[in-house]
Amino acid sequence: MAATLRSGSPPRFAHQSEAELARILDFYNVEWRYEPDTFPISWNAAGAVVESFSPDFYLPEVDLYLELTTLKQSLVRRKNRKLRWLRQLYPEVRVKLFYARDFRALMVKYGRLDFLADVAAMNGNGPLNDDGGED
Amino acid sequence: MHDDIEEILLSQEQIQQRVSELGQQLAADYVGRFPVLVSVLKGSIVFLADLVRSMPVPLSVDLMELSSYGASTESSGQVRILKDLSGPITGRDVIVVEDIIDTGLTLNYLLKYLRDRNPASVTICCLLDKPARRLAEIQIDYRGFTIPDRFVIGYGLDYDERYRNLPYIGVLRPSVYGAEPPEG
Repeated sequence: MAATLRSGSPPRFAHQSEAELARILDFYNVEWRYEPDTFPISWNAAGAVVESFSPDFYLPEVDLYLELTTLKQSLVRRKNRKLRWLRQLYPEVRVKLFYARDFRALMVKYGRLDFLADVAAMNGNGPLNDDGGED
Repeated sequence: MHDDIEEILLSQEQIQQRVSELGQQLAADYVGRFPVLVSVLKGSIVFLADLVRSMPVPLSVDLMELSSYGASTESSGQVRILKDLSGPITGRDVIVVEDIIDTGLTLNYLLKYLRDRNPASVTICCLLDKPARRLAEIQIDYRGFTIPDRFVIGYGLDYDERYRNLPYIGVLRPSVYGAEPPEG
């Protein structure tokens, strides 16, 4: 079932940037679901799942999964690898990776540089180079 | 070139040429249909003004203004229509004229709003298509230029209400808006 931040109980977001993106989607009346599906991407010899990928958002109107990473560009190698595997194993699944630079650009576009500064201050890091709940 | 501009992405001549082509194409496609061109304030006004002067067919123009996310986070939390259409569009052929399509979220909202008013058709004409961060599925019928993922201003596009009057489209220096330059 689709979620919004205005109705029902909002999900517990792993990171403030995810909550901010949910607010943006709500603002523009775009339906979204938070981590609705988990895709196994590697298995051990016994057939047990050892690694999986749960994209942060699913946008049903456009049938698109969205993964938001707040890692610096130089640190997203692991995420890119998982995404590659997901695309190989599930070619029918449309997934887009939103990098820190993309999120930063969104915040600039909407005049929300204060949000970036707040996140950085709370994490004691540079702008969006922390990573909560990356998976 | 303005000091805040890193590079000129599209020159005044390139823009004029392409806008003229778009206008002629639209005029040919809409001859005898009396379309209404709908634009969203404020970024599209320069493009709209040039486009309609390249369309030698009967047409009308209407303008809307929508609240944007950053300016409205403390209010309703939803898009608000700050200026509605001034006339009905029922049964009309609507051409939505946009300066730039980035995430597509605003346009996606606008299209739902317009289609609820039962126009005969709705098509999209945008000057700049920046597909890198698209979050909504938008079918663009008339496209001026596809541009890379850069922060562009000029020819109606602003940063903090500035630069709209530049006659070209330029890339804004990241230092102007306090963002880090892209990592290598």
